[in-house]
Amino acid sequence: MSGEEKAGQDKGGYLRELTKGFITTNPLLVLMVGLCSSLAVSTRVENCIFMGLAVIFVLTCSNVIISLIRRFIPEQIRIPIFIVVIASFVTIVDLTLKGYFKPVYDRLGVWIPLIVVNCIILARAEGYAYSNKVSFAALDGLGLGMGYTSVLLIMSVFRELLGTGKIVFGNTALINLGSDSMPVILIMFPGAFITFALLLALLQWYNARRKPEEEGEEG
Amino acid sequence: MIRDILDLALRLMLVCAVAAAGLGLTYGAVKSNIAKMEREEREEGARKVLEPAGLVAEEDAELLSRLQGDFPDIQGVFRGKDGSGGTGGYAFVVKSKGYNFMTLAVGVDSQGKIIGVATVKQEETPGLGSVPAQSEEYLSKYKGLGPEPPVLKKDVDAWNGATFTSSGINKGVQMALEAFRELSGEGGGKR
Repeated sequence: MSGEEKAGQDKGGYLRELTKGFITTNPLLVLMVGLCSSLAVSTRVENCIFMGLAVIFVLTCSNVIISLIRRFIPEQIRIPIFIVVIASFVTIVDLTLKGYFKPVYDRLGVWIPLIVVNCIILARAEGYAYSNKVSFAALDGLGLGMGYTSVLLIMSVFRELLGTGKIVFGNTALINLGSDSMPVILIMFPGAFITFALLLALLQWYNARRKPEEEGEEG
Repeated sequence: MIRDILDLALRLMLVCAVAAAGLGLTYGAVKSNIAKMEREEREEGARKVLEPAGLVAEEDAELLSRLQGDFPDIQGVFRGKDGSGGTGGYAFVVKSKGYNFMTLAVGVDSQGKIIGVATVKQEETPGLGSVPAQSEEYLSKYKGLGPEPPVLKKDVDAWNGATFTSSGINKGVQMALEAFRELSGEGGGKR
């Protein structure tokens, strides 16, 4: 896998590295990694904001550190070292949320520690950061993290608003449709799959309409 | 060969050591805040279930350590102080399991009757188990029960569609009453 995406950085430059995470290399909708947590936490917009920030932080930091020490990491033990680096940043996020954002920590529960095994992070460490320089690795982490967060936000707005009739931050409802008879199925598991499939279909449709030469630039 | 293995081991160890140091620093920075948050949560729950009986909650770590051998899921014990400074009841903060883990505060008066039950923390399925777990009306059905631990579907109805949650709440209440029995069996009306 290493080196496979090296060519990308010469063509596009910094901006492309940052923006590719939204459409061309969107971790959820194109690479299809890290789906599990996204289906689970997208019941509330507030959760998604914190989950997204956590993923952006972990992804960017682990990308930077791994890219920094990539010459020090021998091929044979690179995976254990990636895991140690990723797990450390996840634990930092976990402790910080526990200490300062207790209600969010309680609601996100197990999904924060599970960022360790989120495929996005390990895939970017192995497939990108290990073979690219620090500045690109940082932008890659930031970009893909934001791509992940944006999908999470779209899903959660759709699910929370239509599933419960309001969007709640803390204890106050930001938007309230004032209806009690909303399709609760949207905030349960089937709703996650339906919402995700709709988004996926939308992106596929968009990609299919683009000119052929623009297609398939990234893995 | 041996040198290669040593080289790998040393590099891995170095990375781990740096990571451990970083985590240690982070933990040191947030430790006190974590403890404070958890204490505030417990206190709020205990206040909710003691105030209706006019009692003031006061955490008692000594009672907790006495109970913890038999009741490892009890996370906090509060004395309910009445106007004259005597103990008019207790609040137990207990961890129970419905569909997921939940933390409940159970207030018990000096006769072993339940003053109130409050949810401190719950992770039940939104829209299903979360409804009874957050419903003050449902939790108030426990008021006045005891000192015999209540039996679900006999003393208290289970919530339709959330049997796991209901039984989790019931288990928590039973645990609190058993703990109360142990306290009153030992020291009697210890003032």
